[in-house]
Parts: sequence; C-alpha cells; structure tokens
Amino acid sequence: MSPNPADTLPRKSIEHLEMRGIVKRFPGVLANNHVNFDVRSGEVHTLLGENGAGKSTLMKILYGLYQQDQGDILINGERVSIQSPSDAIKLGIGMIHQHFMLVPTLTVAENVALGLRSSREPLMDLERVSARIHELSEIYGLRVNPDAYVWQLAVGEQQRVEIIKTLYRDVSLLILDEPTAVLTPQEVDQLFGTLRQMTADGHSLIFISHKLHEVLAISDRITVLRDGSLVGSIPTGEATRENLAQMMVGREVVYSRPIQAVEVGEPRLVLRDVSAISDRETKALSNINLEIRGGQILGIAGVSGNGQRELAQVISGLRPLTSGSILLDDQNIAGWGVKSLRDAGLAFIPEERMRDGAIKDFTVAENLILQEHDVEPYSHGIFLDFRAIAERCQELIASFNIKTPSQETTLKSLSGGNIQKLIMARELARNPNVLVASQPTRGVDIGATEYIHQRILEQRQLGTATLLISEDLDEILALSDEIAVMYEGEIVGIVRRGDATVEELGLMMAGVRPQPQAESA
Amino acid sequence: MKKFHIGILLAFAIALALVACGGSGGAATEAAAQPFRVAIVSPSASNDLAFSQSMFDAVKAIQAEEGEANFEVAITDNTFVVEDAAAAIRDYASQGYDLVIAHGSQYGGSLQEIAPDFPETAFAWGTAGDTFGLDNVYAYEAASDEGGYVMGVMAGALTQSNTIGVVGPIEVGDAKLYVDGFVLGVAAQNPDASVNVNYIGSFSDVALASEAAQAQQAAGADMMTGTAQMVVGAIGVANENGILWFGTQANQTSLAPDIVVASQVYHWEVILREIISNVRAGKLGGESYKIGLANGGEVIEFNDGYALPADVLTLGNETIDGIKNGTITYTLP
Amino acid sequence: MGLSDLFSASVLIGIATSGIRLATSYLYAAIGETFSQRSGVLNLGVDGIMLLGAFGSYYVVLTTGSQGLALAAALLIGMILGLFMAFVSVTLKAEQGISGIGLYLFGFGMSDLLYQKLVGTPRPIAGFPKLPIPLLSDIPVIGPILFQHNLLTYGAFLLVPVAAFILNKTTLGLQIRAVGQNPEAADSLGISVTRIRYMTVIAGSTLAGIAGASLSIALLNIFQQNLTNGQGFIAVALVYFGAWRPTGVLAGALLYGLIAALVLAGNTLGLIPRSVSDIAAMMPAIITILALVVTVSRVREPAALTKPYGRGE
Repeated sequence: MSPNPADTLPRKSIEHLEMRGIVKRFPGVLANNHVNFDVRSGEVHTLLGENGAGKSTLMKILYGLYQQDQGDILINGERVSIQSPSDAIKLGIGMIHQHFMLVPTLTVAENVALGLRSSREPLMDLERVSARIHELSEIYGLRVNPDAYVWQLAVGEQQRVEIIKTLYRDVSLLILDEPTAVLTPQEVDQLFGTLRQMTADGHSLIFISHKLHEVLAISDRITVLRDGSLVGSIPTGEATRENLAQMMVGREVVYSRPIQAVEVGEPRLVLRDVSAISDRETKALSNINLEIRGGQILGIAGVSGNGQRELAQVISGLRPLTSGSILLDDQNIAGWGVKSLRDAGLAFIPEERMRDGAIKDFTVAENLILQEHDVEPYSHGIFLDFRAIAERCQELIASFNIKTPSQETTLKSLSGGNIQKLIMARELARNPNVLVASQPTRGVDIGATEYIHQRILEQRQLGTATLLISEDLDEILALSDEIAVMYEGEIVGIVRRGDATVEELGLMMAGVRPQPQAESA
Repeated sequence: MKKFHIGILLAFAIALALVACGGSGGAATEAAAQPFRVAIVSPSASNDLAFSQSMFDAVKAIQAEEGEANFEVAITDNTFVVEDAAAAIRDYASQGYDLVIAHGSQYGGSLQEIAPDFPETAFAWGTAGDTFGLDNVYAYEAASDEGGYVMGVMAGALTQSNTIGVVGPIEVGDAKLYVDGFVLGVAAQNPDASVNVNYIGSFSDVALASEAAQAQQAAGADMMTGTAQMVVGAIGVANENGILWFGTQANQTSLAPDIVVASQVYHWEVILREIISNVRAGKLGGESYKIGLANGGEVIEFNDGYALPADVLTLGNETIDGIKNGTITYTLP
Repeated sequence: MGLSDLFSASVLIGIATSGIRLATSYLYAAIGETFSQRSGVLNLGVDGIMLLGAFGSYYVVLTTGSQGLALAAALLIGMILGLFMAFVSVTLKAEQGISGIGLYLFGFGMSDLLYQKLVGTPRPIAGFPKLPIPLLSDIPVIGPILFQHNLLTYGAFLLVPVAAFILNKTTLGLQIRAVGQNPEAADSLGISVTRIRYMTVIAGSTLAGIAGASLSIALLNIFQQNLTNGQGFIAVALVYFGAWRPTGVLAGALLYGLIAALVLAGNTLGLIPRSVSDIAAMMPAIITILALVVTVSRVREPAALTKPYGRGE
C-alpha cells in the first residue's frame, strides 16, 4: 500500500524545540545547571555524557516526568508547559526509555492502544489498531505481530513495539534513551534505517548513547553534558571519538590498549557437556563445552536471552545443571554451594548487580565485606570488628577508585559505575583463580568502563581464567582472547580474536554456524 | 520505611480506638461502701440470645435483688480469643474482684494457671465439672440434656414427616449434652422418627448454620433444634419454611414468634446465689454445681404465640415432672 | 439414612442450590478484590467492609423496611471505606497489608459497636425475597438450582461476565491491567495510575459492601457480631485461586460453596461419621487452599501488586 502523506507526516509538527537555561536540583545534587539544548525538524541530535551527567534528567524534564526549577521549553518559538507525560504526548513528544515501558502480559496491539481513546469507547478497537500497526510496520520497516504478547518478544522486537507506539501517537519529536544497548549489530543497522526514514519524514530525534561509533554514524549534531553542565555542541562532521571522549570525561581516554601477551597456563575452568533448564523449564543450555586457561579471557557473545544468564548461573552455583560437569582447577564443582565455590577461588560479577551483586540499602562498607564479614579479621566470634572493617574498606575504596562520600553511604545513592567498581573490589580482592564477569559494564559510563576493563586485563596478567559474558560486542572484541558465540543455549562457534569480523560474529549471533576452518579454536 | 510506619500507625490507632470503644461496654456501677464485685468474661456477645446472655441475665437478676449499690458487675464479652480472655481474667483478679466468672469451657486451661496466683479471689468456671482440685475455683455446668430430652419428646410427638433436624456447633460441652438429650427424647417418644444431627464445626458461622438448616429441610425435616449463637441463621430458615423450632440457652421466641414451640432457659442465678453466699462466708471454691430442671436452674418456657396441641403440652409438662422427680431416667451416650 | 439418599434428586438439587447461595457473598467480595488487585492494590480490609456493609444495610431495613434503601446504604458504606483505603494505600503509599488489616479491625469493631448500641439482640428482618424467574424457574432440576434465588444472588452471578467484559474488552480494563502490571509504562503513556487505582479500590470496596448486604438482607436476614465469619479473607484467597480472572474466581467460589454444601448434606444424612465431622467442616477451606497451592501459577499475578507507585521512585 502506498503511504498516505497525512498518515506519515506528524500532524503536530515541531519545527524547532528549544530548552533554554534548564536548572534542576535534587537534594544535594545540581542535576542540570543552566543547560541549553535544541533540536530541529529532520535532524538527529545526540545527547552524550557519562552516567550522572544529567542527560536523563534533561530528557525526563522534556517528557514531563520531572519539572525544571528554572528555564523554559519552547516549541516553534512558543513557551510551553509540560507537567506530565500526557502533556508531552499532546505536544507531539515521544520517548523510548532505556527500560522499555511495555506491559509484558498485554499484546503488542494492546500496548500500542494503551491510554488512547478508542473509536468505540468504552470498548477497545484492537482490529483498527492492528491494521494501523501493519501500515506503520510497512512504512518504517518495523516487523511486529500485533497479536503477540510482549513477553514472547525478543528485545529487538520489543524496541520496535516502542517505536511503533510513538509513531502511532503521531509524535513529531522522539527521544531515544540508549536504544542500541540491547541490539545485535544487524539490529542496530535496521534501527538506524528506521530512524533515517523518520528524519526524512520530518521527525526530530534526540539520541542518547555512549557508543561513540554509533553516535558518529547516526547524528547530525552532538551535544555533550558533564556533571550537569553543557560542555559543548558540535556538528558530527567535526567530531571524532577522541575529542568526544575527552569532552565527556574531561581528560584524555586511552582507547586502543594493546593487549599484552601473557603466558597461557593450565585449563582452570572446563565445562563438559553442560546442560540446564530455564525458569520457564525450557532448555536453556545444551551440551556446552568450554575451556579457559589461566591468563586467558574467553568472551561469550550473543543476543541477550540465548542462555548467557543461565551459563553464568550454573558456573556460580545459582542454577543446577541437568547434566555435564564443571571443573575448576580439576575439581568437579557442579552442584557446589556458593560459599564453597568462593572458597575454591571463584569470583563472580553478576549481571543484575543490584539484585544479585549487592544490597542497595546497605552501606558501602557493609557491601564490601558481605562475603567475609564472618571471618577473621573482620569478626571475632559473633562480633564484627568495625575498626578492621573500616581499614579494609578504606583500602579497597582507594585502590578501586570508588567514588563515594563515605563508607557509611548507602549503596543506592552511588552511580552504576561505582557500584560495579565496589563489586569488582570485593570479588577481585581475594585473588580469584577463575573470574566470571557477566555484563560488567552494562549501564556504566565510559570512565568507569575503562577502569573496569583495565582491572579485568590485570587479572589476566595475574593468571586468572576469565569468562566474560557481554552483549556489547565492542567489549568482547576489546578484551577477549577467544570468543564463543551463543545462540539458543548452544555454542555456535568459538573463534580467536582477530579471526572473525563483526559481520561474521553478527551472523553467528543470529544462529548461522561458521565455516569449519573458523571453528577450530 | 516511612510507608511502613504509616500503615503500622494507622493499624495501631484503629486498634486503640476500638479498645477504647470496647472498654465502655463494661457496666461498672458507682462503688458503695463494700459492694460485692463480680466480673464475667464470655466468648460471645452478652446479648447473643444464647450462651453468654444466659449468664449475663443471671448476674443482672441477682444485681436487681441486691441493689446496684451493693453488687457491682463488670463484663468483658466477645473474647473468643482465649489469650484475650486470659488477660481479662487476670486483670479482674488483680483489681480485687470478689468473683471472676470465666464463662466458657475453653477458658479452663488459662484459669488453671491464673487461679493459684490469686488465692484471695474466687473463680467460677463453666460449663465444666472440674475444679482442678483448686480451692478457689468453682465449676458449674448445666444438665442441658434434661431440657433437650423434654424438647425431643415434644418434637417426636409433633413430627409428621418423622424427620427431625439438629444444627449444632462443635460436638463438645453444653451443646453435646443438649443434643444427646434431645436425640434420646425423640427416640423415647417416637422410635420411628430419625434425627439428623449436623455439627457444622463453628460456633459463629451464621451463613453455614443457615445452609445446614436448608440441608435439613431438603432432607425432609419438619422439626428443628440447635444450639450456640450461630443458630440464628438456622432459625431464619426454619421460620421461612414453617419448620417448628425448639430453642435452648435463652428464650428464642422473639427470633421467630410463629414457629418457636418452647425454649430451655438457663437460670444460673440458682447456683450463683449459693456460690456468692459461699464466697461471702469465706469459702472460695472447690465445689461443682449443676443446674437442672429439678433445682429450677433450667426452665422450659413455652411460646404463648404458638398453639401447641393440648396433649403435647401435657406430655411436655409430664416429662418435665418425670425428670424432676426421677421417674424418667435415661443414659447419655 | 444411607449413601443412596445423597443421590436422590431433591438432595442433589439442594446441594447445588446451597452451593450457589453460599457462593453469593464470596463472588461480590472476590470480584471486587479482583479489580483492586488487577490494578496493583491488595485490599485485605474486605471482611471489615463486608461487616459494615452488612450492618448498615441490615439497620436500614430494620428502621425503614426498604431493601432498596438498604442496598444503597451498603453501596455508600463500601464507597466511603474504599475511598479511605485508596487514600491510605495509594496517596499515602502505606504498606497495603497492614492498612488492610487496620481497615478490617475498624470494620469488625465498628460494626459490632453500632450493633450493640443500636440494635442489641438479634432481630430478624424481611430482606430481599426469593424472586423465582417466570418460566425458567419451572424447568426441572435447573429451575430450582438456578432460577429461584433472591435478587442479590442473581446479581452476583451476572457480575462475573460483566467484570470479565470490563477487564478484557474495554479501554478502562486495559488501563487497569496495565497499571497493575507496569504502572511506570502506564504513567509514561499519560494514564493516571492514581486515578485508576482509586477507581478500582473504590469499586472493589463497594462490591465488598454489597457482599456484606447479601448476607444480612438477602440470605440470612439478620445481623450478629462478626456475621461474615472471615468470608472476606477467603474472598481474597479466591482471587489468587482464580488467577485474577473473574471466571476463575467464579470457579473458586462455586467449588468452595459446593464443597461446603456437600459436607453439610453429608453430615445431615449421617454419611460422615460424627467423629470426623469437625474435620469435614474444614474441608472447603482445606480443599480450596490445596487447590490454590497445586494450581496457581503466580505467572498471572499483577507484577505491581502491593507496590505503591510514585514517579521516579
């Protein structure tokens, strides 16, 4: 069908949106300090900055989730007041949040229709909604089934639903908060295709990301925030990875750290025919065989939900295996409890750091000694030795560069990067033999990412066998000696770093088995 | 945490308000020179037209005789939670009441622990036959089987369908005695009639008692009886379906004036007077008492509004006399 | 009496009819609670609301003789208590379990206090009469089981499809389901989480008020202290049993009612030995709980149940 211009062009067109002198204070924090930002029809304007730089706050103000303390928002030169998301929606502003705003138990069509007046009020008109979803899918290349339940969808599909939701509401300005974090390289390409189509139709897009090569690929302009203030705004043509990173962090960032050669030791972590089932009692892992030697980093690449989580869990004792064995320094550790695993030298950096890695209402110090609180020198009998704890924590906070007001600060007031550094400090301080790091830098800013990578490489130097699970292919490529790609609970192939291109890895992530010569790792 | 506190505070505020409300129910009269002070702790409402009210009415009757200035009464009712009752019993004892009546067989265990702590206080416990060998505990019970037997005889005479229904609570104590007597009475009068006894497992579930009565009706009952405070539900069903009802523990005529034949009413004052005079004389316990038809502690009150055939009325009165003078005897199961 | 008596037509019809009557009050309360829980609010105060609704409507019949006015009183009482519950649990964001228990204690105590002060001893009233439906009530077997009830019993069963329709077919139902699963997502689409939750809690409490009235002015036609005997709590369990769907709640309420009726019939006919009759009396609760444990998958549980919502929290 040929798109009707009235359907594709936004009705409430935002030619120019300007945020002027925005100030937002939270208790003890100046989140936005007189920030100016603007976006024009048909352009992609990237908002760049580390976690806590104030990007999300600024965008939440624009979407009506927060109210600014000072400053104005102007649309086409007119001042507007945005008190709530529904005001923003009425003005033609849409937002795709980093955590998708979808109701998993509803269908795609129901999610799209949610909150809108139906043509058959008070009844729903899902047939009409589905028809319109089909139209939008065709125009923008967003393949989705309107009748599918959202919980059945892969992450990439869920994101397409989010985009359709905004298109369905005829938004003319769309905010995308870290939209590529969960996508395969191919899906990122698809997304960018859709976004280009949208700008061609006159939409304005605000793109939030910290993946610099993507930012450089999609943006027209780039604005950088640091510590709540505007650092600068430059056309993409003048931007490079280096100068953007420097603007964000405020100092030079070393990107291509040469990986030093280390002597590879004996196999320290060996998985033999490991199988396990998922929470939904479906097969999550089938016959996984892996071997990691001391001084080696094995990266697990794959789109999320292909068994990576379960793999990390079986190794760290959080999920039983249905068959197979796991050898840690030649001891079969299958079925061992978490505590015995730690004593055997396993360190674990969990994916859900706030759920499995730390306790958000505990203080920094309490979190740091969570595993050792019951042994000397931190406790004697049933009593904690607060002095020993304080000394030890001071040391860890300093050596792992954890930015915290004090040891007594509760964990939840720390940034994601600092929480992750704290978990790293706790895990690595015990000189592990095997490290399992699951999504170690997800949601972590560039500065902290750089630091965490450095510590993982340091472990490699020390002869630790590291299993690195990440959905960020750049991270896998930057750190791993070998890369294993997972798809639907199986290892599709294992390649040496440098032996496979990003495109080849992307195909493997989609389940395509590599040619035999690439498999012999 | 703040949210949690709001909830807790609210719950406490409401609970406190309720305690305050409940407290106002205790009818403590102005203290005179040296009044005799009686406290009653009972599991259901003091006006339940059943078990609790029977004791409350008895104490009130004595108070009317002695005068409010000389006889002080305090009540804590609705203490179906035994722990609450135990706290109330202990409270009254420590406040120096002369006689504390624990009016519920379920309070026995608590009383056994409490009574030895207050050797100067007299306790009465019922319905029960056991004083635990304590010399400051009286036990009292009702020979409710006697009234039950009389009712059973009349029901056996009146039934046309030869099917009679009983809605009971739990098969213990006073309820069991009454029902057993009733069944024996029916059997003595009308061996062809069958009695369907249904213990519903609750003293308080009115809805279930109502449905139990429906089940009795479906099974063909044209006469019904029942005991404990939840029977109001059963009486409603009997009334709706024109089934005759035999009451016990209180006069239930007001609940269904057309169908109540008669009610067995307890007059605990008969034995309370004795207990009180004992206490005044310094004897604080150690004896068991029983009310029955013979000592006037149980009275069968006929409903004047129901036209009971003269022969059945005569039969009823003859049965009462027979039990009183010992010419009618039966063996309880 | 023997086993054959249980299978006589009149007894079986009696059991089925009894089960339906017993299910009435549970249905109102549990369907109301379903709305509340689907939007993410656990209202444990149902039993207290039922008691006050039961007393209020009973008292209006006692003083005015009008069942219609009495029903209106129950509605009003339910609404006011619902507004209170919503204010505490949605606006003040109090811990829902505790505020619900508080509401229960209030309803329990207040209904008893008012009853003692205003009425005293149990006094029967003329409630909603039986309303046999012409023609339908004459059908053998089905007629007496289904079509010879009072108005409120019919209403309870009609409520099930109405509730299912509202939840599954209307935009309001969609908003309720979304708010209970992911209030943040609903908020991001301009839906007022507060408004939806106030609506469902008030609607649910209003139905709880009617549930109480169905006991005091339709089924039992009397009031007594603690008339509901904990039915409101069973109703909350039935919502879990029914996996938050009105049809599931209906199945649970009928199962509960029918088992209770079967036990009563069995006891009455002497089929259940006296020695185990007390245990048999607990069977409805035991079987319902067992079925709950065995069948319920919490997969359908509203993800935001018991979680207050505040933007940016």
